[in-house]
Amino acid sequence: MYVCHCGGNISDYVDVNRVVEAVREEPGVVVAREAMFTCSDASQQEIIRDIKEQELDGLVVASCSPRLHLHTFRDVAKRAGLNPYQYTQVNIREQCSWAHTGDREGATAKAIRLVRAGIARTRLTEPLQPLKIDTVPAVLVVGAGIAGLRAAIGLADTGISVYVVEREAAPGGRVARLGRMYPHGKRGRELINQLVEEVQKRENITLFTGAGLVEKSGSIGNFQVRIRVREPVESEIGVQVGAIIVATGFDLYQPREGEYGFGLEGVITLDDFLELLDAPGAGLNFRGREVKDVVYVYCVGSRQGAGGEGANRYCSRYCCNAAVHAASLAFDKSPGVRQYHLFRDMRTYGRFELFYQEALRRGAVFLKFDESEPPRVERGEGGKLKVTVKDLLTCGEEFELQADLVVLVTGMVPRENGKLVDILKLPVGRDGFFNEIHPKLRPVETVVDGLFICGTCQGPKNSSESVASALAAVTQSASILKKGYVELEPLVAAVDPRRCNWCGECAGTCPYSAIEREHYQDREVARVNEAVCKGCGGCVPSCSRGALNLKGYSDEQIRAMIDALAKEIC
Amino acid sequence: MNYDVLVIGSGIGGMESALKLGDMGYRVLLVEKEASVGGKMILLSKVFPTLDCASCISTPKMAATVHHPNIDVLIYSEVEEIRKLPGGQFAVRVRRKPTFVHHSLCTGCRQCEMNCNVAVPDQFNFDMVARRAAYIPFPQAVPKKAVIEREGTSPCSFACPAGIKAHGYIALVRSGKYREAFELVLESTPLVGSLGRACYAPCEGECTRNRLEGPLPIRRIKRFIADRYYAEHPAPRLSPPQEREDKRVAVVGAGPAGLTAAFFLAKKGYRVTVFEAGPQPGGMLRTAIPSYRLPKEVVARDIENVVALGVEIKTGCRVENLEELKNEGFDAIFVATGTPRSRPMGIEGEDLEGVYRALDFLQQVNEGRRISLAGKTVVVVGGGNVAVDAARVAVRLGARRVIVQYRRTKAEMPAHEREVVAAEREGVEFQFLSAPLKFVGSGGKVAAVESVRMEPGEPDAGGRRKPEPVAGSGYRIAADVVITAIGLEPDTGAFRKILPLNDNGTIRVDPHTLQTAVPYVFAGGDVVTGPSMIVKAVAQGRRAAFFIDRYLKGEELKGVEFDYRMPVVDREKVLGRQQSYRTLPPVEEGELLQERPGDFSATELPLSEEQARYSAGRCLDCGVCSECRQCAATCPAGAVDLSMKEEQKEYQVGAVIIATGFQFFPAREKPQYGYGKFKNVITGMQMDRLLAPTRPYNAVLRPSDGRVPENIAFVLCTGSRDRSVNNPVCSRVCCMYSIKQNQLIMGALPLADVTVYYIDIRAFGKGYEEFYNQARDMGARFIKGRVARIEEKEDGNLLLYYEDIDHGGKLARAEHDLVVLSTGLLPNPRVPELFGNAKLELDENLFVREVDEDLNPGKTSIEGVFVAGAASGARDIPDSILHAGAAAALAAAYVERIRMKK
Repeated sequence: MYVCHCGGNISDYVDVNRVVEAVREEPGVVVAREAMFTCSDASQQEIIRDIKEQELDGLVVASCSPRLHLHTFRDVAKRAGLNPYQYTQVNIREQCSWAHTGDREGATAKAIRLVRAGIARTRLTEPLQPLKIDTVPAVLVVGAGIAGLRAAIGLADTGISVYVVEREAAPGGRVARLGRMYPHGKRGRELINQLVEEVQKRENITLFTGAGLVEKSGSIGNFQVRIRVREPVESEIGVQVGAIIVATGFDLYQPREGEYGFGLEGVITLDDFLELLDAPGAGLNFRGREVKDVVYVYCVGSRQGAGGEGANRYCSRYCCNAAVHAASLAFDKSPGVRQYHLFRDMRTYGRFELFYQEALRRGAVFLKFDESEPPRVERGEGGKLKVTVKDLLTCGEEFELQADLVVLVTGMVPRENGKLVDILKLPVGRDGFFNEIHPKLRPVETVVDGLFICGTCQGPKNSSESVASALAAVTQSASILKKGYVELEPLVAAVDPRRCNWCGECAGTCPYSAIEREHYQDREVARVNEAVCKGCGGCVPSCSRGALNLKGYSDEQIRAMIDALAKEIC
Repeated sequence: MNYDVLVIGSGIGGMESALKLGDMGYRVLLVEKEASVGGKMILLSKVFPTLDCASCISTPKMAATVHHPNIDVLIYSEVEEIRKLPGGQFAVRVRRKPTFVHHSLCTGCRQCEMNCNVAVPDQFNFDMVARRAAYIPFPQAVPKKAVIEREGTSPCSFACPAGIKAHGYIALVRSGKYREAFELVLESTPLVGSLGRACYAPCEGECTRNRLEGPLPIRRIKRFIADRYYAEHPAPRLSPPQEREDKRVAVVGAGPAGLTAAFFLAKKGYRVTVFEAGPQPGGMLRTAIPSYRLPKEVVARDIENVVALGVEIKTGCRVENLEELKNEGFDAIFVATGTPRSRPMGIEGEDLEGVYRALDFLQQVNEGRRISLAGKTVVVVGGGNVAVDAARVAVRLGARRVIVQYRRTKAEMPAHEREVVAAEREGVEFQFLSAPLKFVGSGGKVAAVESVRMEPGEPDAGGRRKPEPVAGSGYRIAADVVITAIGLEPDTGAFRKILPLNDNGTIRVDPHTLQTAVPYVFAGGDVVTGPSMIVKAVAQGRRAAFFIDRYLKGEELKGVEFDYRMPVVDREKVLGRQQSYRTLPPVEEGELLQERPGDFSATELPLSEEQARYSAGRCLDCGVCSECRQCAATCPAGAVDLSMKEEQKEYQVGAVIIATGFQFFPAREKPQYGYGKFKNVITGMQMDRLLAPTRPYNAVLRPSDGRVPENIAFVLCTGSRDRSVNNPVCSRVCCMYSIKQNQLIMGALPLADVTVYYIDIRAFGKGYEEFYNQARDMGARFIKGRVARIEEKEDGNLLLYYEDIDHGGKLARAEHDLVVLSTGLLPNPRVPELFGNAKLELDENLFVREVDEDLNPGKTSIEGVFVAGAASGARDIPDSILHAGAAAALAAAYVERIRMKK
């Protein structure tokens, strides 16, 4: 039993030494120590030494959330020759020190109770073996935009077969519609052509366009997926894959009617403007009229602090860069064009700063407005638009700008993808984009094992950042599939067939459809499909005959934990 | 050794790439230059935008990396060269720096660190506190093993002919470990006291402090050590070794060389007998050096160190026949008979009464013979140390006038300058460019020196201008006593039978092994080198003992290195790394000089303990490690090995990933912000350390007075978006790490005000804008406006001058009690030098260029070489991790491709 200081994260608020002393005499405790960082290599080595020397048959670490270090310490147990499922992690950081920063006494008492419960559970653990499942060396990629296509090629290059499913009739996604892109000035459709060519060269990539996902079953290492295709005839195809990568991209923010004059002639989005810039020929014209003055309004649909419920509070990341890049493209096309950029914070991060400076150097004018006093766009005189803005860079002076075009620099919004979310059980974050487990530890993984996300479905990114995340998803999935097998948690429900008489109650409670009916000595009984069961335990209390139990969290263990929690603290 | 992929750098990017490749089944070699994996991330407090503790994210990755079955990690190693091979693979040469600790034995107990006596700025705490030369980088280090930082041999220790670890005993004195200091010197010589008094201290001439306020009084520190030890230990605490060899060694001559050799041979277990012709052991220490410089009880105590080891010293026993000794059962002989004879002048009147040879004169005085020179005029002929000693002795014996006559100029005198100055102060007169022609007697007694003026003539073979007599310049110096001191020579006639000699009578030896033509006879000290100094004789004694031991064991002598000192450190580098050394004037010279001293009391004051420690505290720790050996002495595992050597290793790899990260903008390059000058101006990384769980002061304090700051300013874009420092780009992370620190400060110091001076807040990543708004909601103030300059007030507070854009753009001034400079990220421009036969391109900001960022992020200009993380441009941690995953995917694809080709 080890209690962690977590630097000061725990010990600043919990009396670690008291916790150790309070549980030292608990039944079964042989070693009770504290450690500055239990997860550090030195402490890991110490635990291994203790386990080996004292021939321990259980391990408890009271530290952070098991989401962070459950696997770390299971590994430690394994290296010491202890069954990893005889390890219990007690979370006294998130649940004690961080939750009760103002109450050292209370936090310490709570920690003592939680640790005792962890010890009580551990005393009753039994060695378990993980369920080993052979993996199918194939991956399903959902979405054939730049991220999906690049992921497919990356996987194929490491020897993994790929099925790509694209809703549209042609691959390429949004990038396929783009002209010259930052930072390298390459054309979006050329990039996509290049990728499609590479995809076609690879025999182990199958691309379904005009297709959609219908159904998914199975689990990591072995998913069964049904795909509906329209061509050549509408039909359903079943494929077997070991992992799924979701790369469904984003939608552009669609301004409301009247938002910054949207709906007025000449008020367009950046996307529309880029199309204009990409049109052949010199000169900048809109609907047959020469464009002499352009006003950009930044952060349209992004950073909506005052927007109330449903507002997009996040920054869309790509748009400042795209807008200053567009400014240079506009100068290229029409050197005399006057450009006014109305921004809030210029977020040309990293070397994109150089595009900003180029735009400045070439004569673009930048005016900073405050969120509370946004620019007003109205119909002006002589067919022009009138933009009124209070510029913070010139002592808050109010300017009236005459514009031929007002470009709304619109942000990215999450795509409506309800059906896919349902089929794949994709986790959606507060901002509406898909959520990774942890941006640093597991940045392309989701809570569903074997289901990965990359590109802009996860949050705003530019094209090359999307590609980087796609390739990160490639390594993550390849590292699982190239091993040839995955190990699944054995902490799953089990049926005692002698007690069960199949009433079907449990099957109804299972959100994963893991409980099936089977024959057992002339009777019908329930059986748990261990590969599908997530170990949520929902079925256990539903059984009136007590035939169900959860491995690792048996009724006996839970009772012992409750007793330990309730025990007096002297 | 072959690997699929080489990853250079084990920061978060390098670890991520290595782990992903390892998981995919590729064999990875990970090279890290520091002593722990983890890079910069592990040093952070928490990380944005999730406020996870950086350690919690890093440590499991660090442990997973080093324990991964497919990853081999080389820490404390640097890639020296990478060459592309025709098949697409790469040949890699790696330099493994010596850790001086055997990591297979080290348990990470930190005993060495706690006993180390050198403190240097702790780079892992951004120099806010010190660490030891023996150190484990930080508490969460992986592997948790100590290393000892050694730049090279310190100039003082390197200058010592005898290899005495001057820096080592100085470091020990600094720590108050006087006994350990004595024992360290004793490891190199038994003559600790004698050297402390009478060494000419070549070390002091090399001391780096010479370039500043003057050298450390190294010799006097050694005297302090010896005085103190001998006062506490009248008898040595040494005894003969438990295991003794059967072999016997004869040492002929009990001077510094002989005694030192006897000491080391006895330590090795040999039965040693020293034969001394004179009545007492000590050689020149006893007979030649006057007692005001070297009291004879000090010599006697030094010699007890030798005797205590079981060495037998037979005095009054002149050895002439070496073969006889051999026949008596000695297996080896060390001849160290020195230069006991004064060279005759060969001029008329040398045998007159009143004409002495200097050595005889000094010896008689040292033996206590009462010679009175009261009222007499004494002429000493010669310009060496012996001449000056004789002159100063003559003064003490009451001479009315003492004249040193030297045929060259003062500048050419071989005597030590310090001695000449002392002699002058004591009233000795000097006649330069003057030579005696004959000694004129009267009644058989000398009465005058017939002399002639000299002038510098043509240079001789050695380049010295040979003095020539000036015609017609003859003159007389009246003299009652004449002492000739024109040189010493060996007395080796008796050995001529079996040993080849040089023309000047010195014994011919192999200069490396000191072995003579007769294998069992070794010779060293002045009898080989001619007249020299004590410490050189000690050096010869040590060397002889080393090779005699090998000879007696039947081991090879040729090609064996005796002196394992590392190369000397570059003094310029030492001075360069002192960012702000304190001016520490030397202690006063302790010379007690008076006109015409009447007795032989010591002429130099000892250092007080306070003076000794102050002086030792002036040491600049040039070599970093002082070689005091306390780590080796206290390591319970016996893991310390200071003789460990650097190794070069060659590997073949399929692909390379560069994950060398970035460096921080040096805040000093914005002098208008006063970093390094104003104590309460710190960098963002320093603030991060102040907030980290392993924080140095366990609190957020401002450096000038340790007060808790109440009003903290952040200056964003320090060294970024700034053409004046040649870095026009944005560093991407500074806005966010500052906002993170705002939140942590407001948690740690709820009463503190936090103000951020910014140009644009770049909260562009997932969850960042929300994180920024959270800081604003918590109360952080954000002021748009670049800070122009910072001034320091007397109380340590700082005045910031800035343009307040939100309020009409007027120039404004604000006072804060702590300023954090949010410094940006710069490239590590050394990376391209690694590549031997291919060119690694850099971008316009000197980061590694990604040649196809759109479709192959991480691909460089060299096929098969990829870049991960901040090496190709500033990146935050989530972006670095994704980028590292991409580099791993590209490297894997490349490895598959070259495998297919094969």
